Amino acid sequence: MITLTKRLKKEAESRNNSGTQVKHEHPAPKRISIRDKLLIKEVQEMEQTIPSTCRVKFDNPDALHDFSVIIQPDEGFWKNGKFLFHVVINEDYNISPPIVKCLTKLWHPNISEEGEICLSLLRQNSIDGLGWAPTRKLKDVVWGLNSLFTDLLNFEDPLNIEAAEHYRKDRNSFEIKVREYVNQFAKR
Amino acid sequence: MADDIDMEKPVEKSTVSNDCVVKSEKMFSLKRWNAVAMWSWDVECEICAICRVQVMDACLRCQAENRNDKEQEECVVIWGECNHSFHNCCMKLWVKQNNRCPLCQQEWSVQRIGK
Repeated sequence: MITLTKRLKKEAESRNNSGTQVKHEHPAPKRISIRDKLLIKEVQEMEQTIPSTCRVKFDNPDALHDFSVIIQPDEGFWKNGKFLFHVVINEDYNISPPIVKCLTKLWHPNISEEGEICLSLLRQNSIDGLGWAPTRKLKDVVWGLNSLFTDLLNFEDPLNIEAAEHYRKDRNSFEIKVREYVNQFAKR
Repeated sequence: MADDIDMEKPVEKSTVSNDCVVKSEKMFSLKRWNAVAMWSWDVECEICAICRVQVMDACLRCQAENRNDKEQEECVVIWGECNHSFHNCCMKLWVKQNNRCPLCQQEWSVQRIGK
């Protein structure tokens, strides 16, 4: 109801202004991209709703499409580690998912040592319904990353096959290697 | 109509064959009847889940590109067989990536386009 009256009012206004060349008198406002419009709301929501084990850091507060997520798991194999993720959101957001890399080296079945991440919601084209959808938001990405250290940890469908096999063969030795990596690369 | 809601007549508690209740008193009477009607758009989801603008308004893209009102009028709504609705502009971009409804993940097939 409100939007209809708003639109009618706007229409009436533009009719009144036609001929007076308003556009030339006021330079058009600087164009904000769709991505940035979406991000203004999503960043705020993300900062209010992410889990206590996560922190978000913007190096440039004006660039909402480029930030870091720091995850410090409080349970599981990677407990007491500190893992840095870099998130970049391209102009075609939210049709395309954010691009996320893990900058901290770790021994994990779903994150490669080079930092590639296997997380269904970050996948652009998935045949199941679990991939990226424009209904997802930044907070879902952070929750997803956080869950890779807990309930989304998946040894059955690994990206780092060696790590998954390591776990299957010798769980103790896997844990030791995880700790070693944490001590070496992910110290708090 | 008036007869139907004419409550001025005393409401009697007892009727014919019940001997136990003899009391017959007026419980209440209806003095005035104000009917209120509500309306809303006939769509299941009023906000486009892709651009998060009301589906009956022009989508975020059409608004941002400073198009004139006539062009914005052409930013129509699309309904899928799943009954979910989005802006046609938004959905056009999304189905190129993945031909599923972003809300229910069902295979996307168009039921209706328009307003």
